[in-house]
Amino acid sequence: MAVLNLPTVQFTREQEEFREEVRAFLQGELQKGTFQTKCDSWLSGSDPAFSKLIGQQGWIGLTWPKEYGGAERSSIDRYILTEEFLAIGAPVAAHWFADRQTGPLLLRFGTDYQKNFFLPKIVKGECFFAIGLSEPNSGSDLASVRTKAEKVEGGWIVNGAKTWTSNAHDAHYMVTLVRTEPMTEKKHQGLSQLIINLKSEGVTIKPIHYLTGEHHFNDVFFDNVFVPDEMVVGTLGNGWVQGLAELAFERSGPERILSTFPLLNEAIEELKRKQDLEGLGEASKLVAEFWSLRNLSIGVAKVLEEGGEVGVSAALVKSVGTKFEQKIPEVVRLLLDVYPNLKAEREVDRFLAESTLHAPGFTIRGGTSEVLYGIIAKGVLAG
Amino acid sequence: MSEMRDMIIDVVERIFKDNIHKETVDLLEKGKWAVDVWNLILENEIEKVAIKEATGGAGGDIEDLLNLYQLVGKYAAPIPFVEHTLANLILEYTNLLPQAELSTVHLAAQPLTLKDGKVTGQILFVPWARYAKKFVTLATEQGNQFVVLIDLKDATIQQQTNLAAEPRDTVTLSEATILASSLINDEQVEFLQKLQTAATVSKMTGAIERAFELSVQFSKEREQFGRPIHRFQLVQQHLAILAGEQALSTAALDNIVALLLKGESNDEIAYARLKLDDASRIVATSAHQVHAAIGVTHEHRLHHYTRRLWAWRDEDYSAKYWKKELAKQLVNSSGTLWETLTKKKQVEHI
Repeated sequence: MAVLNLPTVQFTREQEEFREEVRAFLQGELQKGTFQTKCDSWLSGSDPAFSKLIGQQGWIGLTWPKEYGGAERSSIDRYILTEEFLAIGAPVAAHWFADRQTGPLLLRFGTDYQKNFFLPKIVKGECFFAIGLSEPNSGSDLASVRTKAEKVEGGWIVNGAKTWTSNAHDAHYMVTLVRTEPMTEKKHQGLSQLIINLKSEGVTIKPIHYLTGEHHFNDVFFDNVFVPDEMVVGTLGNGWVQGLAELAFERSGPERILSTFPLLNEAIEELKRKQDLEGLGEASKLVAEFWSLRNLSIGVAKVLEEGGEVGVSAALVKSVGTKFEQKIPEVVRLLLDVYPNLKAEREVDRFLAESTLHAPGFTIRGGTSEVLYGIIAKGVLAG
Repeated sequence: MSEMRDMIIDVVERIFKDNIHKETVDLLEKGKWAVDVWNLILENEIEKVAIKEATGGAGGDIEDLLNLYQLVGKYAAPIPFVEHTLANLILEYTNLLPQAELSTVHLAAQPLTLKDGKVTGQILFVPWARYAKKFVTLATEQGNQFVVLIDLKDATIQQQTNLAAEPRDTVTLSEATILASSLINDEQVEFLQKLQTAATVSKMTGAIERAFELSVQFSKEREQFGRPIHRFQLVQQHLAILAGEQALSTAALDNIVALLLKGESNDEIAYARLKLDDASRIVATSAHQVHAAIGVTHEHRLHHYTRRLWAWRDEDYSAKYWKKELAKQLVNSSGTLWETLTKKKQVEHI
């Protein structure tokens, strides 16, 4: 089962130093009050001003070519950077999708015009993207999307709707999976990715309030929206394949194991203050699980860097990792006297509230666990 | 992985594959073991791996040995390979001479009492003691700690077994003269504990690998409702869970091996041991569920692996021990958990 064997990674001295540099900066900003630590901050912490600050540090598009404003650093460096953002719960949601998905997508499939136009803006933290995949009637069965684009002179007219679109309200553009040919039996075919300017005429964005009442997700409606030809990404009709390539990046990163880490970190500080050895012993089991998952997740990052195939192992990281993220609040609440509340002054109470209330989404967003189990099983049965 | 290592692994895997059948493992239930397999190991001088050539060994390193331990788990090999080689590795580490005669080791949390070159005390669950000639363990004398080498003919041995019918005997010693001893400090004791733990982690990883493989294979062969059971989504979920635990266990082992080779290991072996404890439970549960009724019979070989997982998870320095050690370290740590997890590696002395 070679598909499940991943390399081990030991950080170099330069990488350790980069981690320290990032950490010192973030600690400084935290102390200045630029942001407040939050669990699940990559979804719920959208702060355009903070993203601009990160852009000024040169930390958006870290791995991208210098000609587009990137730093040409390794994926392992980016892994470290992402870990530090999430461990301290920094508000990185605004630039998150452009940095994680859109940039790599354009670098791989985009035209020179698209790369020159978008990447430098993304790198500066001035241009945010949303990803338009799910629709009201196609969630897990993603290939059944119905939003359609019809060819007109100089471009396309888009009609339809996307849903669960994270941060569309803060984003400037959306990479939208649309049908550019009528749906046939082979529903994976005839799909294309279009970049839609969310300020265009005919685009309506309506909030979908999360169960806490917070606004992260949106419905996005397209009513005869014109999209110029130069906004087609890659090859017409190849949208499904191009989209799949993004998923490995989306599923195996630190955000699939660290969403509730600030809670574990703070709970351990509380237990240390109480000198609670028994509680710390129980918490150690979570630490061990985290360590094991991190090995796997970094291993996938390494294979990705080397251009290897990681579809199955990325699905593994996400399915096990998100279950672990959900487990942290469930263990912590039994180790401490807690008063969870989103506005609580004591951090552990606030983090517990955030973690508990956000937990159900972890195993749904980016591919439900059920869909992932299917992918993994198929992989091991073929292996 | 070195070519040399690949070769050794291939040789041993071939020996195990060709010679360890279900009946071979079942021998243990009848109080017998696979002497012929052991003789093949001796013929190929595999028991000398990781011992320096200068002291009669075959060279190689700890990574070679731990990879072989993984095979012991994967094939449920009914031979004292781990015990004999680990005993000799510890002897060599403490500047004592490796033994050619069959040896075993158990670093009990309750060491023997040493006085004037004689040891007294009782140690439970000593693996393979009834067959071994020599025994490596820990003893204390006036607060000092020693690795001691004992001749088992000087011991009273009461035969016991673990959950997988492997020999786990009670060894009682009353003023028995030791053959050799070596004074060691706290750090060295801790390193030996980690070494023994790494050995157990390797065996458990191998058993997990096999339980996973058997489950995948069975799900393809077994048909119900007119189709192979792997076509059912609920069975697929078990396969995915098994794959996850297998990948996590292997990654845990690979990472501690890499750290041991570099002479670095702070808390990682403890983490790996805690993770393997968790993984054993999950794997045994899902593997049995996939196999359903046939898997709980003695006739089927699944129990060779699940019973070993249930046995091994409680042996030596178990999750219970390491959980407490980690708690002690956490309570005294000045930095946060994140700082601990990401701190730069410090080199340990091997």
